[in-house]
Amino acid sequence: MNKLKVITILMTVIFLSFGLFSYSWGAGEEEILVGNIQDMSAGTAIWGQNDTNGILLAAEEINARGGILGKKIRVITYDTKGDPTEAINAYNRLVDLDKVVAVLGPPTSNVGIPLAPIAERKKVPVIGDFMDERATTHSGGVWNFMFLTEPSCSEQAEIAASYALKELKLSKFAVIYNKANSYSVNMAIPFMAYVIKHGGEILITETYLFGDTEFGAQCTKIKNANPEAVFVPGYVQDNALIAKQLRGIGVDVPIIGNNSWYVPLIELAGPAANNTYFPSNMATDIPRFQDFIKRYEKRFGMEPLIHALMGYDNMNILAEAIKKAGKLDPIAIKDAIEQTDHAGVMGRIKFNPQTHRPDRMPLIMLKIENEEFVTLGEYLPPLD
Amino acid sequence: MSFYQGVIIIVVINVIAVIGNFLLTGMTGLLSFGQASFMALGAYISGLLAVKFNIPFPLAILLAIIASVFVGFIIALPVVKLRRDYFALTTFAFGEFLKAVLNLSVTITGGATGLAGIPYKVNIWIVLISLIIVILLVRNFRNSKFGKECLAIRDDELAARSCGIDSSRKKMTVFLFSVAITSFAGCLYGFYTCYIDPSMFGWTKSSELVIMVFFGGLNSLTGVIIGTTFLTLSLEILRFTGAWRMFIYVLIMIILIDFRPQGVFANWELEWTTFEKLLHMPLSIIKKEK
Amino acid sequence: MCRESCLCPFILRRGVKAGLLLRNVKKELEVFLQQLLNGLSCGGVYALMAVGFGLIYNVLKFSNFSHGGVMLIGCYTAYFAFKVFHSSLFVTLLFGAIVGGLCAVIFEKLAIAPLRKRNAPKVYFFVNSINGGLLSEYLIVATVGVFFHTFPDFLGTTNINIGQISFSKLNLTMFTISLITLFGLMWYLYKTKSGRAIRAVACDINTASLMGVDVNRVISLTFFVSGLLGGLSGVFLGINYTIYPQLGKMIVKGWMASVIGGLGSLLGPVVGGILLGVLETFLTAYIGSSFTPILSFIILLMFLLIRPQGIAGIIVEEKV
Repeated sequence: MNKLKVITILMTVIFLSFGLFSYSWGAGEEEILVGNIQDMSAGTAIWGQNDTNGILLAAEEINARGGILGKKIRVITYDTKGDPTEAINAYNRLVDLDKVVAVLGPPTSNVGIPLAPIAERKKVPVIGDFMDERATTHSGGVWNFMFLTEPSCSEQAEIAASYALKELKLSKFAVIYNKANSYSVNMAIPFMAYVIKHGGEILITETYLFGDTEFGAQCTKIKNANPEAVFVPGYVQDNALIAKQLRGIGVDVPIIGNNSWYVPLIELAGPAANNTYFPSNMATDIPRFQDFIKRYEKRFGMEPLIHALMGYDNMNILAEAIKKAGKLDPIAIKDAIEQTDHAGVMGRIKFNPQTHRPDRMPLIMLKIENEEFVTLGEYLPPLD
Repeated sequence: MSFYQGVIIIVVINVIAVIGNFLLTGMTGLLSFGQASFMALGAYISGLLAVKFNIPFPLAILLAIIASVFVGFIIALPVVKLRRDYFALTTFAFGEFLKAVLNLSVTITGGATGLAGIPYKVNIWIVLISLIIVILLVRNFRNSKFGKECLAIRDDELAARSCGIDSSRKKMTVFLFSVAITSFAGCLYGFYTCYIDPSMFGWTKSSELVIMVFFGGLNSLTGVIIGTTFLTLSLEILRFTGAWRMFIYVLIMIILIDFRPQGVFANWELEWTTFEKLLHMPLSIIKKEK
Repeated sequence: MCRESCLCPFILRRGVKAGLLLRNVKKELEVFLQQLLNGLSCGGVYALMAVGFGLIYNVLKFSNFSHGGVMLIGCYTAYFAFKVFHSSLFVTLLFGAIVGGLCAVIFEKLAIAPLRKRNAPKVYFFVNSINGGLLSEYLIVATVGVFFHTFPDFLGTTNINIGQISFSKLNLTMFTISLITLFGLMWYLYKTKSGRAIRAVACDINTASLMGVDVNRVISLTFFVSGLLGGLSGVFLGINYTIYPQLGKMIVKGWMASVIGGLGSLLGPVVGGILLGVLETFLTAYIGSSFTPILSFIILLMFLLIRPQGIAGIIVEEKV
C-alpha cells in the first residue's frame, strides 16, 4: 500500500472521529454563544457578509455595555455557500457541537425553508429574514422556532402594488420576474393578484431565469405592450440589467421594484435607474437610520446595505429575549422571542404568534431620481 | 440525531450517488454529466408521491427509481451507440433540460419555489444499510462475467466488438443500473432535507460527482467510497480556512489529478485479505514509534 | 361617420383595413428586425467565446471548460486596470485580453502539461479544466470578494434609432471589434508561421512533432491565443452585463454554440454562436422565456443526434 493511500485513509478516520469525540465544545463560563448561518461566498454573498457585519456590530455594542446576564456574546459564523445542505449541516453543528443558544439566519428562503423542520426538532430558535412564508408557517400552523423580522414576500409585493395603484395612480402594468427564484416568483404573483383585485390590469408578464443577462426579447415585448409601469422584482444585478435594457430600448415609464433595488443598484445601472419606485427597509435620511449608518461606517469602513440592518436588529431582538428569559435555555429564549416588541432600526417588530412574522409592518417607499435615492415616506396598504 | 450523524448521512448519500457514477464510468468509460438530474428525478418523484398522494416511503422510492430508469432508457437509447463525448454532452443537456422543466412546472412541483414538506424519514441506519446493499450489488456486478465484458468494452470498444460482445446493450444496462443507484441517492436526499428545489441539482453538482470518481480511482470501488468520504468531510473540516476554503479544495484536486490521474486508490480494493494487513499496519507504526 | 352615400363607408372601411394591415405588417417587421438585432448582438458575444473554446478543442481535442475562468479573470483585471488607470475602452480591452492569455498559459502549465506528459486520456483534461474554471471563481471570491461591479458606459448611453429600431453605439463597436479580432485570428492562423504550426498540431499532433514542430511550445501558444480571445470576451461580458464571480459560467453557452456550429473548424463556432444568440432571442420573443432553455436544449440534443459534427464541422472518425 503506498503512502498516499495510507494518508488518505488515516485522514478520513481522523475526520470521522472528530465528530465522535468532540462533545464539549460548548461555551466558556463568561460567554453566550450565538450562531450565524449565512452565504459568505456564493451568489448572495454580499447579503451574507452585510448581515454578519450587522450582527457583529450589535454584539460588540452589547458587550461594550456589559453583555447580557453578565456574560459576553460570541458569534459563530458558518458559510452555507447558498446551499441548503450546507445550511443544515451548519445548523446541526451549531446546535450539537458548539451548543449555541440561538441561531441568526440568512435572508434567503431556499435555506430558510429546509431549516424549519429541523429547528422544530432540535428546538433552538432561528431569527432570520427569509421572506418566503413557508419558512415560518406551514399548512398545519406555525414553525415554532422560526422567526421572520420583516414583511413577507407577499406583504412587500402588496405594499408596492398598493402604492403604485393608489399613490401613483397607475393601473396598467407589465411584469418581468425570475421564474427560477422563489423570492422573485413570490413577489410577482401577489403583486399581480393585488393589482387585479383592486381594478388594475396586467398587460403582459415576462420571465427570465438565473444567469440570464440578455433581456432584449422580453424588453421589446414589454415596449410593444405599452404599459404605464413595469414591475421588476429580481435580485439586484438582474434588476440593474433589466433597467438598463428597458431604458435602452425606449421604455421610459416608471419601474416599480422590490427591496433589491437599493444599493448598489444605482452604481450598476446609472441613469437607467431613474424613475423607479420601490419599498425599502431603510432610507438614509431618516434619523434612526443615520445614526446606525454612522456607527456602521465607523466600524467597517463602508456603507451598510439593508441586510446589515437586519442582522443588527435580529441580534438586538435576541439579546432582549435572552435578558427577558433570564437563562440560557433555548426554549425559554424562544418563548421570550415570541413576546418581542422591539423598536429596531428597521421599525417596530412585534411577532404575530400565529405566524411568527410581524403584521402590517410598513416599509419605506423610495424613489430613484437623478441617480439618487429620495425618501417618499413609510407606507402601508389601506386595510380592505 | 447529532451533528455527527447528520454529516455521516450526507456523506453516505453522496457516496451512493458517486457509486452510481463510478459504475458507469468505471465500467464503460462513458462519462455522464447529468447524474445530478437523476438525483433530481428520484427526489422529486418520490417526494411528490409522498406529499401529494401520501404513498408510503419505501413504495415511493421504488416507484421513483423505476420511473428514473425508464427516463434514462429513453435518453440513452439514441446516444449509446455514439462516441463517448456525445454521451457526456447529451447527459449534460438532459440535466439542464430537466432543470428547466422543473422550474417551469410550478403547479406540479412548485417550480423554483421548491417542494417543501417532504416527511422526514431518513436516519443513519437506513442510510448505512442502503450503502451496504449498494456496495454488495455493485461488487457482485463487477465481478460477474457481465462485468468483465464491460471492462473489455471500456478499454477498447472496437476490439471488444470484434470479439462478439454487444457493446451497446451492455452500455445501456450499466447506464440504467447507475441511473437506478443515483436516483436512489436522490430519494434519500429528499427525505432527509425535506425540501428540494431545482437549483440543488444543476450541472455543478453533476461535475462534482464526476470529479469525486476521478479522485477515488476509476477502478476501485473502495477507493471511490473512501475518496468521496474524505472529500465531503474535508469540506466541513476546511471551514477554518475561511474564504479560501473552496480554492484550496479545488487546488488539491487539480494537483492530485495531475500527478496521480488514476485516482488515489487506483486499482486497489478492500478484500477480506487486505483487511488483515490493514489491522497490522497501524500497530506496526505505533511499535516503530516506541 | 360618412353617410353621404352607401359606397363611401364601404371603400373607407376597406381602405382603413388595408392601411391597418400594412401598418401591422410594418410593425411586425420592425419588431422582427429589432429582435434580430438583439439576437445578433447576443450571438456575437457567444461567437467570440465559442471561437476561443473551439481553438483548444481543435488542437487538443477536449472541451476546455476553464475558458470561463480565463474570461472571468480577464474581466476583473481589466476592471481594476480601468479603475486605477482610467484607461480608454480599447486599452481596457487589450489589457483584459493579454491577462486572459497569460492566465490560460498558467492554467496550461498547472493542469494540462503534467497530464500530457503522462499521456493521460482526454477525459482527465476535461475534468481538470472544470477544476480550473472553479479555481478561478474561488480565487476571485477569496481575493476580491463577492461584490458586483460594472464598467461605466464607455460610449454614452445614447442609442442609434432607425425608425422604431434601436441599438446602442457600444454594441455596434463591440460587434466591430469582434469581427476585426476574428479576421485577425484567421490571418494569424493562415498567414503566419506560428499559426501554421498551430494548424499542423491541430491536424495531427504526432506527425507534427515528427515534422520538427516544438509541440509543447505550440500548445502553450495556442492557449495564449485562446486566452486572448477569452479575456476579450470576458471584458465584453463585463461591459454588457455585470462583473461578478460567477461570470465564468457563461462558458456553457459558448460550448453549446460550438456544438451547434461544429467543432472542427474556425467558422463553426462563429456560426454556432450567432445562430444560438438569434435562436434564443426569437424563442424568448415569440414563445416566452420559460420555454427557451427547454427548447434550446432540445435543439442541442437534436443536433447531437442528427448532425453531431455541427453545421460546419467535420467528424473525426475513430481509427482502429
